[in-house]
Amino acid sequence: MCECCNGKKDIYRPQLWTINKHRMLNGTEMYLHLDPDSGKAFDYIPGQFVEVSLAGIGEAPISISSSPTQKGLELVVRNVGGLTKAIHKLKAGDKLGIRGPYGSTYPVSQAKGKDLVFICGGIGLVPQLSFIRYAMDHRADYGSITVLIGTKCHDMRLFREEIALWSERKDITIIETIDEAHDCWDGNVGVVTTLIPRVESDLPASQVLVCGPPIMYKFVLMALAEAGVPEENIYVNLERRMKCGVGKCGHCQINDKYVCQDGPVFRWSDLALVPEAI
Amino acid sequence: MTKPRVAIFDFACCEGCQLQIVNLEEEILNLIELVDVVEWREAMSEQSHEYDIAIIEGSITRDEDVKRLEVIRSRAKVLIALGSCATSGGVNRMKNSFDLNEVRTCVYGRDGAMPHLNTRLTQACHEVVAVDYKIYGCPIDNAEFAQILRALLVGKKPFIPDYPVCVECKARETVCRYEYDEICMGPIVRAGCGAPCPSVGWRCFGCRGLVDNPNVQAAQEVMDKYRLTVDDLKQKMVLFNTK
Amino acid sequence: MSVSTVSKEQFRSFVAALIGSEQTVVGVQAKNDKFAFGPLRRAEDLRLDYDVTILSPRKYLLPPKETLLNFQVAGDSQTVCDCQPMVLIGVHPYDMAAISQMDELFSQGEYDTHYMNRRQAITIIACDVATASANVFASSMNTATVDSGFDILLTDIGGAYVVQADTDKGRALVKKMAGAKPAGADDMAKRKAVQEKNRTGLNKHVLECKPAFLPKLLEKTYDHPVWEDKARLCYSCGSCNQVCPTCYCFDVQDEVNWDLKTGSRCRVWDGCLLENFATVAGNHNFRKNRSARFRHRLYRKGKYVPSKIGGQIACVGCGRCVSACTAKIANPVDVYNTLLENTEIG
Repeated sequence: MCECCNGKKDIYRPQLWTINKHRMLNGTEMYLHLDPDSGKAFDYIPGQFVEVSLAGIGEAPISISSSPTQKGLELVVRNVGGLTKAIHKLKAGDKLGIRGPYGSTYPVSQAKGKDLVFICGGIGLVPQLSFIRYAMDHRADYGSITVLIGTKCHDMRLFREEIALWSERKDITIIETIDEAHDCWDGNVGVVTTLIPRVESDLPASQVLVCGPPIMYKFVLMALAEAGVPEENIYVNLERRMKCGVGKCGHCQINDKYVCQDGPVFRWSDLALVPEAI
Repeated sequence: MTKPRVAIFDFACCEGCQLQIVNLEEEILNLIELVDVVEWREAMSEQSHEYDIAIIEGSITRDEDVKRLEVIRSRAKVLIALGSCATSGGVNRMKNSFDLNEVRTCVYGRDGAMPHLNTRLTQACHEVVAVDYKIYGCPIDNAEFAQILRALLVGKKPFIPDYPVCVECKARETVCRYEYDEICMGPIVRAGCGAPCPSVGWRCFGCRGLVDNPNVQAAQEVMDKYRLTVDDLKQKMVLFNTK
Repeated sequence: MSVSTVSKEQFRSFVAALIGSEQTVVGVQAKNDKFAFGPLRRAEDLRLDYDVTILSPRKYLLPPKETLLNFQVAGDSQTVCDCQPMVLIGVHPYDMAAISQMDELFSQGEYDTHYMNRRQAITIIACDVATASANVFASSMNTATVDSGFDILLTDIGGAYVVQADTDKGRALVKKMAGAKPAGADDMAKRKAVQEKNRTGLNKHVLECKPAFLPKLLEKTYDHPVWEDKARLCYSCGSCNQVCPTCYCFDVQDEVNWDLKTGSRCRVWDGCLLENFATVAGNHNFRKNRSARFRHRLYRKGKYVPSKIGGQIACVGCGRCVSACTAKIANPVDVYNTLLENTEIG
């Protein structure tokens, strides 16, 4: 910081965090747990994301999968490009740059007392986990919790141990499906939409939280409309190209909305008429 | 850490792109700090069969070239096509529009019948083997070459523009050739060069090849707006962009 | 507000003295048969009679490429702050309006120190338009004259300039103008005449509605055939973005030095017309069609950006995109007027 900055912070300069745990969740997804080098508290709300950077390689928006009720910061990074490939080579003790948290949040307070239904497709489970864990840690605040998880194939399933533990509990319902049948899998086969009729809570009165690949939204939203879920009870968590995370660079814009500031979590009633949204 | 081993090979070309690497001058010293150059005919006499990165200059114009490139590919972890000849076939590809026997006689006269001149249709490297990266241009821009190489060495995907030359032409405030009713390849050709040609009054010759999704449908109507024809455009395209 | 008059000769001496001072002096100069902003070496190179510059002065506020951070590879980073004092001479009212919009956009919400520090180090000497360019339509956009944002505003009234200083920085500079005297009623009348003329006369393309109506118009025209009709010829070359004084979208790229241990993170201009502007990792492109990208620019200018800056329309009528577009489809007035044809003006 120089004299002319008048004590104002540089919004583009990341803070260093240290990786203290990491492991592969499947062939492409890496789990990372980080602590801030500054030792300072990092306040966020489920649904938000951070800009993760590895200086020299680049920077990208990554959803936070931990809940604020947990210590440190947990991220899941899919190996899809130059940056994420380099992140996959890191080990405990290595550092990442973090900016944020940025963006809108899941309706953690408005949803109190209501039934929650999470619909997760593939890596879309990751940002949803933040709210699922938060709700489990504030279990009395919410009604029933149902989590529908669709994964492309058996090998790609994420957070299997945690999901297995939840599956044994009575205060959360987990229903999983995989797109392609597999010898080691005796559960449901089919896309996540096929699980919607099996939700036991009163769907139209529930808060429905949806996150998945672009193709999934269309079908899930159609199914929810058929089930009579009002648009204002549906929340979607969207992905876009982002460079700045702070509403300047223009990349994440969907019509008049900025995913980095108005999103990534949108109430579907605010987005249903926005043509470029899904 | 052991340095990556780099080998540079030339096929049918003028070797100007290699010369551009030599033209890095004192920066070459930085480069050889980072890599072991194990074969580079234009700059050294040693040869090697063991390398991590193979840099290929030139187009593929003979059967024996195909075999040689396949062997190089099998030995290299990363293969980079260097310059227009390697990335698109370049100027050499112009011959593909003619009868190959005529081409041989025209260029070599009676010697054209000699076996080592047995030419075939020109191909770019990626039409023969898998290519990991392409460094465009005739010749290449050596600053871009250096930037791409540093990116690869640090484990980063290099930035290689996929937008048209107009972007760089506008950035340097060059007046558009079309304002003078002249053909320019800029709107459909890949940038990265910094648009030097239009800045000195030339058109863009198209040496970097077309962008991934050029709007060729627009050509007819747009040429009409400038007292030009699609044939004018096609004539200028053959130099670097013969199909 | 203090208004004085200075002869052209005296103003030239003032510019010559500025060039000799420590700050960088940038002004409008001839470039072949066009004009461009560039560092001034001689006062006589300054051309305040210019019609329009190829690029807008945005290139000095938001450079085509700027270093945001220097870093250690995979490690920490340090802010790079570029705040060298600079005087920018010859900014036209429409460009001044564009700069004021960018000031608001970069300071609102998350404050962008890189832009704002540079902005604060720049002194702007604006000038009223003396020659209308071939495609200007600032009169249609209410940006043919300007009353704020600058430090000094010059108006050419023949043999002299009327000089209005609006800020402390501006007043300090006017004090250095040897020969400046308070503007008389006659000079003020001449200035008023120039501005009155520009208010209606910089209008080579006439927008058929008030600019303030555009956001409302665009609410109803998302699926209008004009988008596809125009974008059919679009090269996605981003020329319209590059020359636009209000385009400020950017990309961020890391570059490493030869030691492979240090490098810098740079911000570079980007453009929403370019094919992969909205492509994410994994190659999904959220704005794949040329027509959707073509529409996005005109919606940004007429609706999206205005919603962030109190309704100001983010097209200032400079006409640069009209001249820069090879396919001759970029003219915003042409598109907006087509949209207006079958729409009730409320």
